[in-house]
Amino acid sequence: MEFTLQLAFAGVCVGSAYALIAMGLSLTFWTTRTLNFGQGSLLMVGAVATVALLGAGVPAVAAVALAIALAGALMVVAERVAIRPLLKSGDSMGWVVSTLGFGLFLQGFVAKFYGSQAIAFPSLIFTSLDFVDVFGIQVSAQYLAVLTLSVALMVAMEIFLLRSAWGRAVRAVSHDADVAALAGIPVRRVVVLSFVASGALAGVAGVMVAQITGTVDPQFGFNLMVLGFVAAVFGGMGSIVGALVGGIALGVAEKLAGGFISTAFGDAVAFAILMAVLAIRPQGLFGRREMTKV
Amino acid sequence: MLEVTGLVVRYGSIEAVRDCDLTFDTGTITAILGANGAGKSSLMKAISGLVPAAAGTIRIDGEDITALHAHRRARLGISHALEGRRLFHSMSVDENLRVAWEFRHRGNDFKTASDRVFERFPMLATRRKTPAGLLSGGQQQMVILSAALIHEPRYLLLDEPSLGLAPVIVQQIFAAISAVCRDSGTTIILSEHVAALALSVAHQAYVLKQGKVVRKGAASALAVDASLSAAYLGG
Ligand SMILES: Nc1ncnc2c1ncn2[C@@H]1O[C@H](COP(=O)(O)OP(=O)(O)OP(=O)(O)O)[C@@H](O)[C@H]1O
Ligand SMILES: [Mg+2]
Repeated sequence: MEFTLQLAFAGVCVGSAYALIAMGLSLTFWTTRTLNFGQGSLLMVGAVATVALLGAGVPAVAAVALAIALAGALMVVAERVAIRPLLKSGDSMGWVVSTLGFGLFLQGFVAKFYGSQAIAFPSLIFTSLDFVDVFGIQVSAQYLAVLTLSVALMVAMEIFLLRSAWGRAVRAVSHDADVAALAGIPVRRVVVLSFVASGALAGVAGVMVAQITGTVDPQFGFNLMVLGFVAAVFGGMGSIVGALVGGIALGVAEKLAGGFISTAFGDAVAFAILMAVLAIRPQGLFGRREMTKV
Repeated sequence: MLEVTGLVVRYGSIEAVRDCDLTFDTGTITAILGANGAGKSSLMKAISGLVPAAAGTIRIDGEDITALHAHRRARLGISHALEGRRLFHSMSVDENLRVAWEFRHRGNDFKTASDRVFERFPMLATRRKTPAGLLSGGQQQMVILSAALIHEPRYLLLDEPSLGLAPVIVQQIFAAISAVCRDSGTTIILSEHVAALALSVAHQAYVLKQGKVVRKGAASALAVDASLSAAYLGG
């Protein structure tokens, strides 16, 4: 029982990180109706840049902050070179290729300097040996920190979207960019804002997951991005609560399957669940149809 | 005064508006008439900045705004209610108004501005928290008008506001349009399929055909011109 609970808890924690990745993907999907397949590499960049800066003697807080800022800035570049030019020509799906290309470029760039081997990611606040007692189960402090931070960020994001002028502007652009522009909303600036936020979220998620896994390599982000994508679709692509529930369900399923069957089986279970959910509810569990108006 | 000179709008190889000259005098209502595909919506979108002008200039009160983005023109006092009843369905009535207000207001607070709008359409006041997507078509059109009016624009562009609405509601909407022009001195540009309706509130009118201005004149003169509908409006 204890083992099951521990697995489930670990699943909740990594699932909350998937939810954060899902939220980053959703944000830019809302504002541009594109999926940024380069996001995985930004997860990796966030983690690798943290390692590099720590190695250069930068204090931990500054290193993490700079790495997150770098991920945000790179996302703006991605929008500028891999998305915006391709949206000019109407119905082009070219962004699939160009965002993927952007991601692969970053992977190659990092591999050039660090090789494609795993690099150790240092413990930032807690070590993997720190445990906290929660309702009688021993819980890793690192996992707990990930859960807390993810949930806090998602709550902050939900409040931003619902209560602030720029949050409303994001929703307005998502729903109908023409009407938003006519209301005086600077649509381009809102789009760029969504990419900065998406990049920063990717940076945060990358650092958190690397902290748990303890290593990072150039391919590090790709599977994570796919899992984040699954969480987003699972949750309905339009809602933060949906992404959170989707991410957590995915994380728990993955950990339980991994713990009781085999670690390699975790991803397979995750995708089986995705397909089952989509077959039954194509709009996802929390799909708000109007958010993803076609 | 709003002046359009030599305006051309192109979508790829299609010329939707061809070398149009129009002037809209301050404080008047101008009807833009024409059959389907005549270029009415394209003309209005070029004025509000949603589509670029391939040639020509657009001036408000002498200032050339042709190169400005739509959101800048909105802040200069141009409001545009698009055809097809477009509003933010998942947002409440209040939120729709707030979005319309908060990026272009000049100082005054939202409560005052929205209260003034609800005075014009009292039936909306009781639906403030309702998602706009759940309102009736007539109520949605009132929200759209309210959103377009909430920051007291100098220019109001209305693209087929009557489309798909019951006659009673259409009357209310048109009464409101007249009142806005009379009370606030707003310059209004109104496109309509139903010529008689638009001409009953307008001061002057332009008739478009295949992107060109083919008639212009006082609304009262065009209203009694029987040849108009047969020749230009497709029956
Ligand atoms: N986004 C677009 N892309 C390509 N062609 C377009 C586009 N919008 C309009 N057109 C074309 O431009 C021409 C003018 O269209 P427009 O919508 O301005 O006419 P309209 O007078 O408003 O018609 P309606 O009364 O049907 O609303 C039409 O031939 C139309 O097919
Ligand atoms: Mg039209």
